[in-house]
Amino acid sequence: MFLVNYRLTSSQLVCGIHTILGDKAVAICIATAFLSAPLAAQPFAYISNQLDDSVSVIDTATGTVVDTIAVAGKPAGVAVAPDGSKVYVSTPEAKGFAVVDTKKREVIATVIVNDGVLGIAVGAEGERIYVADWYENTVSVIDAKSLQLIKTIAVGESPSGLIVSPDNRWLYVANRISNSVSKIDLNTLTVKKTAPVGTHPFGLTIDARGERIYVVNVKSDDVTVVETARMQPIATIKVHMLPYATTLALNDSRLLVTNQNDGSVSVIDIETLKEIALITVGDKPEGINTHPDDRHVYVANWFDSNVSVIDARTLKVIATIETGEGSRAFGQFIGK
Amino acid sequence: MKKIAVFVSVLLFLFTSIASAHGPVRQKTAEKITINAPAAKVWALIKDFGDMSWHPDIVNTSIQGGNTKGATRVLTLKDGNTITEELKKYDDKKLSYAYKITEMSSSKKITHAGAEEEVPALPVTDYSASIDLTEKGDSTEVDWKAAYYRAYMNNNPPEEMNDEAANNAVKAVLETGLINLKALAEK
Repeated sequence: MFLVNYRLTSSQLVCGIHTILGDKAVAICIATAFLSAPLAAQPFAYISNQLDDSVSVIDTATGTVVDTIAVAGKPAGVAVAPDGSKVYVSTPEAKGFAVVDTKKREVIATVIVNDGVLGIAVGAEGERIYVADWYENTVSVIDAKSLQLIKTIAVGESPSGLIVSPDNRWLYVANRISNSVSKIDLNTLTVKKTAPVGTHPFGLTIDARGERIYVVNVKSDDVTVVETARMQPIATIKVHMLPYATTLALNDSRLLVTNQNDGSVSVIDIETLKEIALITVGDKPEGINTHPDDRHVYVANWFDSNVSVIDARTLKVIATIETGEGSRAFGQFIGK
Repeated sequence: MKKIAVFVSVLLFLFTSIASAHGPVRQKTAEKITINAPAAKVWALIKDFGDMSWHPDIVNTSIQGGNTKGATRVLTLKDGNTITEELKKYDDKKLSYAYKITEMSSSKKITHAGAEEEVPALPVTDYSASIDLTEKGDSTEVDWKAAYYRAYMNNNPPEEMNDEAANNAVKAVLETGLINLKALAEK
């Protein structure tokens, strides 16, 4: 008769097992503890390191890189499945995307789509993957289960950033060369409307109600605010040199924009649509995303190969996390 | 009629590939040197955007505008080639500035994949760079960083215009410049 009493405070898992199997019971108990650990942890941020052919996995609870996953083909765009089980990473040089299993932390499938793959997004139910093709001027719709192509939709020239509406009804595409945004109906998989924006739109984001999208224009150094119902631009906000991508925080009251050639993040007040702060981050900031806590914002600094964590409330950089060479993280790179 | 349509779409495709400039992956080079001289002395040598005589490979600089955003300079290299650069950021207090290449002369012509290609003076595209000085007591740390794409923007580049050629050329420019700057400042 053995008495086993196991306590793991870190994952709040308590094992109290009375058994005659002794050692075996201990083994089972520990195994359960390890399996539970990743589930109990805070969301992970997946940072694509384009020049390293890898993805850094940041545990946002500890602010440390807990793993680095090899992803061939110059990984750039990132989309985390809503349940966090998979991460889709666009790989321009491998002409498609990689499917990363977040438990195994390895690539479990690669899908060839087209030559100019960059922007990538996943449906709000995790059912489909959307991939923009820079050369073909299309968005490919792929079934997430079978990884088979469902449809190819023609959009504007050089489609870049993609964002799915919170109600999973629409997909918005920034067409870089056409200086426009296409609104795709996800029921019919056709373009419903196109709105003109600034010069060379790239990254974009949408508010929680799906009423407005914010489109970053790389060449005109500004952000176009588009009302989604009518697909009408309603405002233009000036930011700084070569802006790249954007995210919302604090209950959609703040918009944060990375300015690549300024090494900064613009903070815009949504009520006044004015810049209220300019935060210095690393060199060539690119991908930007808000943590599910709606307060902390993660910025991938391409030149410096690290990630700045901004507190949207205090407007300060609270941490800098070393990642890999050429961190881009273009897209929705933090799990829910 | 059909033939024309096909031809037009091929033209459009070519145009898009060139204009989009996103086939290749952006590259970077960073060089750093510690100079045993105060930051003010080092800054005095490099602070004028219109004077790049501190770099041994540059024989002449002409400038339009002063040390303010939007100024352009034309650098003449030893071999006679020219590079035009625009000042994008200038901070006298932080001892730093940033600029980008807007134009370059062609150093040679090559034939690749059945087409004639002009190799630019520096085999890069969309090149931006920054120089930052940091005072470290009596010495100065100089950081020179550049981000760019290779010169050949389509797939399968010739060796004169691939990522390696771009990285080697940029590294050489930065290294040569910093070594000479150190020599000048420590005189």
